[in-house]
Amino acid sequence: MEPLRPGHLRVPGQTEPLDLIAQARAGDTQAWGDLYREYAPAIFRFCRRALPSKEDAEDATMEIFMKLRDKLVQYDTSRSFTAWLYKVAANHCWDILRRHKARHDKNMEDVNDLPLEAPEPNQLERLIEERTGEQVRKALDKLGARARMALVMRYYSDMSYDEIADALGVRRPFVGVVLLRARHDLRQALGEDPALAVGGSR
Amino acid sequence: MNDSNTTNQHLDEITLLLYVERQLDRQIAQQVSLHTQTCDRCLTLLRALDRESRLLTRSMLEADEPLPSRIAEFHQKVKRSMHWIWGVVFGLALLGVYALYTGYIDPWVEQFEQAGFGGTNLLSLLLFQGAFWKGWQSMFTLVELVAMTSVAGFCVFLLRKYLKRGTALAVLFASMSMLLVIPRPLHAQDFHVDMKDDKHKSLEVKKDEVLHKDLYFAGSLLRIDGTVDGDVYAIAQEVDVTGTVTGDLIFLGRSTRISGHVEGNVRGFSNNISITGVVDKNVTIFNEDARIDSSGKIGHSLTAFNQILTIDGTVGRDVLAMFNEATIAGTIGGNLRAKGASLSIASSAQINGTAKFEGDKPADVASGAKLASPLQYSKLEHRSHAERGAGFYIWRIVWAAARILLGLVLISLMPIFARETMESAERYGASLGLGVLVFFGVAIASLIACITVVGLLVGVSTFFLWLIAVFSSYVVVGGVVGRWILGRTSEFWPLIGRMALGVLIVVLVVALPHIGGWIRFGVWIWGLGAISLAIYRRLQPVIAPNIPSMPGGPIGTPLPPNTTISPA
Repeated sequence: MEPLRPGHLRVPGQTEPLDLIAQARAGDTQAWGDLYREYAPAIFRFCRRALPSKEDAEDATMEIFMKLRDKLVQYDTSRSFTAWLYKVAANHCWDILRRHKARHDKNMEDVNDLPLEAPEPNQLERLIEERTGEQVRKALDKLGARARMALVMRYYSDMSYDEIADALGVRRPFVGVVLLRARHDLRQALGEDPALAVGGSR
Repeated sequence: MNDSNTTNQHLDEITLLLYVERQLDRQIAQQVSLHTQTCDRCLTLLRALDRESRLLTRSMLEADEPLPSRIAEFHQKVKRSMHWIWGVVFGLALLGVYALYTGYIDPWVEQFEQAGFGGTNLLSLLLFQGAFWKGWQSMFTLVELVAMTSVAGFCVFLLRKYLKRGTALAVLFASMSMLLVIPRPLHAQDFHVDMKDDKHKSLEVKKDEVLHKDLYFAGSLLRIDGTVDGDVYAIAQEVDVTGTVTGDLIFLGRSTRISGHVEGNVRGFSNNISITGVVDKNVTIFNEDARIDSSGKIGHSLTAFNQILTIDGTVGRDVLAMFNEATIAGTIGGNLRAKGASLSIASSAQINGTAKFEGDKPADVASGAKLASPLQYSKLEHRSHAERGAGFYIWRIVWAAARILLGLVLISLMPIFARETMESAERYGASLGLGVLVFFGVAIASLIACITVVGLLVGVSTFFLWLIAVFSSYVVVGGVVGRWILGRTSEFWPLIGRMALGVLIVVLVVALPHIGGWIRFGVWIWGLGAISLAIYRRLQPVIAPNIPSMPGGPIGTPLPPNTTISPA
């Protein structure tokens, strides 16, 4: 199933399952089940990209939907349901990652203040050409929590800079910096051959 | 396009990334577009960044693994199971309420009534025969108003998710309005009494003086030589009643002497108490040393928990006492039920009902003592761990089962909160630290609240919630132990299985001799802390951490999102 990306569903009322949402809000379990079936695969994949293990992603998906069930009454129907859904998912995943931050993100914090060197353009092109989607996904696992979360929010769920800033708790102008640093980390992780390790922050 | 030999003027990477991401405003974007038409290096980097974006999106969107069956079946499972789970939970809840009532509440109510806490006291008024049952026309007393307001407020808090904001506010304001009708508690300054010093440390109601209101006092000495036509509530080092109190005397202090007349009940905690006067109703005391003098008279029952108890005077009805050492030389109109190290019954003693004593050694009964029936003695058992019989372990199993059932009910009713609590428990430092604070703090605060009349319901409710939380700590710690052993899960029955396994292990560990008690204390602290932490986190908004910023890049102003990328 093609993941539902909020950026592609910006027109309220046209692509949103408003009837289903209204029924689910009224306590209709069948409607809730339909909503779950519709959105659970996309949310699971979001969690799978954002969190370190499959089990974590499964747990998180179910927790998110349990949370959504309580929060559904708070959803503003004039806005995109998918965007709201991803926002809840992003907050939940970020919360989980923050709890485990001591193990992973600490190392990244230490190098985050180092200046970034611009990559050599041709080397970067070559790196991108040679890498597959699977390699990128594996490299994602090696990133710090913030970098990983930022990339997933931007390139999986197509969240805006404002939404990313809100979820990560950074000011909006620094979202670009966070994304750039995340890309550098990713290139570093992808560069098994030291010659391909372009730029880099380490 | 020209080869760029103007290296110093290359655009930085963040600018190009923001251009690719359509985050630059139109003017800057046009400058970038112009620059890349004349600079090969920047154009190549721009293209590479764009391709990198596509690679990232493609990699993330690829369906590389099938949806786990656990996720696919999650909703159906929950839906299917809820029908009968609710039946089981409801049945268990009914069973629990019945067991709680028959096992605890009913015997306690009976005991309270025997000790004089009948229909006139505040607690039973609130819980057993008050505003809940009487009908609206009789709900005009202050106590019932306070009770109903408190209960309503508690209900609003519990149901706040389901109430509309306007409704909740209406209830809140109604509650506050009701609180306004409560008269201010009376203070010593309200009376014409002599204050011994400026700091209001002592209070004396003079011999000929009559106060027609309840008296509240906190200080070093309270002396009542005159008459208080109402109840007396005192926290004082010394309480001395030589006059008359027409209501109850409730006290907390070091030394209490009653040589006058209390027409109501006497209840309190103090280091020592001496009754040489008359108490018309019941006496309930917790002291180190208590003495009912030969001239002292208690009209109804005596309930006493003391180090040393001496009864030389008269008790009209039953005596229930726990002590280290007791001497009875006076008259007991009803039954005697006593438990302690040693008991002496002097020749002048008279017990009109049955007499039972459970102690370390048989009571020393003088030959002249008048007992309606022979004293029934049973040996007080002090079992060591090595001497534990099968009954001990059977009860352990029963309690473990009760805790597992409690966990089943709690996880069924509050699945998200249960998981949040277990996750909080894994924040070991925070949960243990908060646990220590809540374990001691809440218990002390609720007891202090109970001293005041208005705070009694709050205090009792808080204390019961605290007790429930302490009891539930086994479930929390059991859940965490189960997760350690079998791994994390969010599914209902696997979670219950882990909790049950963990509870069994915890129950076994706390049964260990010597260290078991300390481990139990640790379980209470840990579990209570985790519950408190989960509640605290629920009441707090999620705060994202501040992330250190990085200097550089022309990203000072918010940028419109729809700037177009120039064709490369």
